[in-house]
Amino acid sequence: MTTRILALVGDCYGARGGIARYNRDLFEALAGAGADILLLPRLGNADGAALPAGVRQQPAVFGRLRYSIGAIWAAWRHRPVDVVFCGHVFMAPLAVLIARLLGARCWLQAHGTDVWGDRRSVVRTAIEAADQVTTVSRATRKALLDWVNLAPERVRVLPNTVGDQFIAGASSRALGDRLALGPGPILLTVGRLAASERYKGHEQVFAALPALRAKHPDLVHAVAGEGDDRGRLEGRAADLAPPGAVRFLGYVPDEDLPDLYRLADLFVMPSSEEGFGIVYLEAAACGLRVVGGAGGGGGDAIPDQRVGVTVDPSDRPALIESIERLLAEGRADPAAVEPYRRQHFAAAAQLLLARLLARPRRMRGAE
Amino acid sequence: MCGIAGIHAYLKVAPPVDRAELGRMNDRMAARGPDGSRLWLDAGGRVGFAHRRLAIIDLSEGGTQPKHSADGALTITFNGEIYNYRELRAELQGRGYRFETGSDSEVLLQLYAEYGPAMVGRLRGMFAFGLWDARSRQLLLARDPLGIKPLYWADDGWTLRFASQAKALLAGGAVSADPDPAGIVGFHLLGSVPEPFTVWRAIHALPAGTTLIVDATGPGAPRRYYDVAGALAARSAAPPGDPASARQRLAAAVHESVRYHLVADVPVAVFLSAGLDSGALLGTMAQLGAREVTAVTLAFEEFRGGPLDEAPLAAEVAARYGARHVVRTVDRAEFDRDLPAILDAMDLPTIDGINTWFVAKAAREAGVKVALSGLGADECFGGYPSFTDVPRSVRWLRPFDWLPGVGALARRGAAAAIAAGLKVHPKMAGVLEYGGSWAGAYLLRRSVYMPWELEDLLDPALLDEGMRRLAPLGRIDAVLRGGDALCGFDRVAALETSLYMRNQLLRDADWAGMAHSIEIRVPYVDPFFLAALPPGNVLAAVNAKEAVADIPQPALPPASRGRRKTGFVTPVGRWLSEAAGSSGQTADFSTASRAWALRVWQAGWSGAAAS
Repeated sequence: MTTRILALVGDCYGARGGIARYNRDLFEALAGAGADILLLPRLGNADGAALPAGVRQQPAVFGRLRYSIGAIWAAWRHRPVDVVFCGHVFMAPLAVLIARLLGARCWLQAHGTDVWGDRRSVVRTAIEAADQVTTVSRATRKALLDWVNLAPERVRVLPNTVGDQFIAGASSRALGDRLALGPGPILLTVGRLAASERYKGHEQVFAALPALRAKHPDLVHAVAGEGDDRGRLEGRAADLAPPGAVRFLGYVPDEDLPDLYRLADLFVMPSSEEGFGIVYLEAAACGLRVVGGAGGGGGDAIPDQRVGVTVDPSDRPALIESIERLLAEGRADPAAVEPYRRQHFAAAAQLLLARLLARPRRMRGAE
Repeated sequence: MCGIAGIHAYLKVAPPVDRAELGRMNDRMAARGPDGSRLWLDAGGRVGFAHRRLAIIDLSEGGTQPKHSADGALTITFNGEIYNYRELRAELQGRGYRFETGSDSEVLLQLYAEYGPAMVGRLRGMFAFGLWDARSRQLLLARDPLGIKPLYWADDGWTLRFASQAKALLAGGAVSADPDPAGIVGFHLLGSVPEPFTVWRAIHALPAGTTLIVDATGPGAPRRYYDVAGALAARSAAPPGDPASARQRLAAAVHESVRYHLVADVPVAVFLSAGLDSGALLGTMAQLGAREVTAVTLAFEEFRGGPLDEAPLAAEVAARYGARHVVRTVDRAEFDRDLPAILDAMDLPTIDGINTWFVAKAAREAGVKVALSGLGADECFGGYPSFTDVPRSVRWLRPFDWLPGVGALARRGAAAAIAAGLKVHPKMAGVLEYGGSWAGAYLLRRSVYMPWELEDLLDPALLDEGMRRLAPLGRIDAVLRGGDALCGFDRVAALETSLYMRNQLLRDADWAGMAHSIEIRVPYVDPFFLAALPPGNVLAAVNAKEAVADIPQPALPPASRGRRKTGFVTPVGRWLSEAAGSSGQTADFSTASRAWALRVWQAGWSGAAAS
């Protein structure tokens, strides 16, 4: 029998960003196993997007009250529902309520910063009522278990997957010519430049550049990404780094990313709060070594020394030493990224769904 | 016996098992198994087992572990003893299974091949094991029904680790040592850490009587296969016999259990106190034909020649049954000398286990490897004051349980009076608030500190967080869930067996015995034995705790019966309170244990713990 899933998500199809991409990967995997999925997003427009068979997305509703009422109504019409999936802990109370109303199981997904930011007791109680919780990283799982009273076996880890377009190879000459980054070496950071996400560690890299340039006079730090913090960061770069050492590339379309990675010599993002750090994996899959930040879930996307290291972002000597050492080591071994490929992710997602379905349905008022 | 450990990298992205980490875990348990140490990793590096061996059954190479099935598909690392392994082997041979060794671990592998995880219900013994099934790619963890052998696990979301000791998991280096408020509050409340908590957030005790299956998605929920209250309820459902037949059943049950617990390829000794329970074990051993049994008795220098000296009476019992009697005298100086080693061997903080430490040490010096202990007799025969106090408290104080707020109000007043100098035990302030419910009355009886007292001892945030997850009254109530129709005696028996005996006595027997490489066997802690006894109200009616004296033939000497139960009237109470820095006026263990609990915590664990 087809498994019917109702999914409350922040965004999915027709949206940018790591969480939207994770959601698409997950629903594609579950639909691939025959699940019928109705998505209720708060943001994003799926018009024109190619949705996999078995997946439908309703128009986005942002307002909290309208969203809640609409979700309950849609849930009622979508009956019978086997699983209510909740893609953001912020919506956990609503998801648990709907799951109880419909006698469905509740699957809650936590990404990282959402868990560290929202500490309301109503959310905690809702998380504790979920039948299964998945997190993208071990660090998020630990942070969650430090806060909520959940049996440890109920919180599973489903790491992000890396797209098949990210493979090692020669970089495109056209892109190199267009960006004109010089002989290098090229350090690359890819991430949103948002005032709300200042933990990504751009400034720590800027501050390391004078010392790095002493040894590598042509070294360039290429910063890909756009956001409301760009102006401020440009100012910081002018203050901290030698002239011309930092190049802001702006938004780089997804299709150009593999080539951008291949063009660079080292991926550097000493982030202190990364939920997972999918960019680390994408870089490694393209053959780049990675210097990531210790803290948050970043360690999970840097599986071992074949790919890179994590450093304390505030420890400048360690950051400089790691960058110099990894530059000298050359390309990463993309085989280390193999377990993160799509077929393994899909298999793991399908096993988690089966595991959840093996649990009895929960009825109103029953424990 | 022995020590076990394992690592399973169950998620595809998890790095392969680190042999060096497994080795560090195993080395931390060196005392558990001085006769051998082995590691095994599967070809893909996704699972690894470690084992430290204390050889008791099949002393040859055939008994070494981790052990594999003939086809290589099953691998086990096992700690404990299966007393009915010969019967099980004969049964399996009848079904066409072939055996290559005389070990009990091979029987476990074949039994799994036949029954799968349900095989645990067939085992009579004490055990904790990890079993890897390469065909289904599943790891099975299991622990004996009553919790004699420990098993701890930690899961980071990628990789699951398990070991006989929590400290071994930490020693591996990959498990977080962040403190667990629930376990810390539990220790201060009860004097031992209640399962499934430990004092480390990342480390969990596998509850007694449960199995845990780890597949490609990680561990499932622990599955309970034995429940004490349920077993006692089933026992009560049988028709009661007359008192004479009840005594016969009691004697037959003890005989049968002792007979099973003597299965070994090395001599089996006994820990002998002046009490009836251990004397009955020795007498039964002699009656079953055991000759020249070594009986080890602990004596204290302070009590020599006085009424509290257990040695003379124990000597009389030993002589009656032809035992080789070893009396080991301990004094304060030796206690002080051993204290650092005691705190190091203690796997989790506990206020007890000192007596077991010394009697196991004495046994080791006497060349003993295996000894029977009378542990558990008080739980099944009603030997504790709680068997009368708790039902009486519930009967008299139940009305206060129905009047919300009155008990708490009375407690606040009484606590103030006690603080102002009223000479009663501080816990007594909570009588009206807690005494009217089974869980509350039991907590009052067994607690070291009561919840309201902890506000002065622990950080408020830690206390709140700990109490929220520990939920002590709900946890105690849960023990009785399977036994609604139980009589008062059986209710207390279920509580004592599932809480105090499991979390305190058995855990202490494990670390204190293992520290000296002594296997402690407990014939009174056995589900088959419990089921063979008459129901609790009949045991109470025939005064089972005294009737034990008549189980062996010849019966225990008359002097044994007249002796008042001494319990913890040993100098240990006084040493503890002196070691904890109190004035040392009292030898009362209950009062001494309060200061001692704080001392243990400060010496070994505060600041998130030494490993």
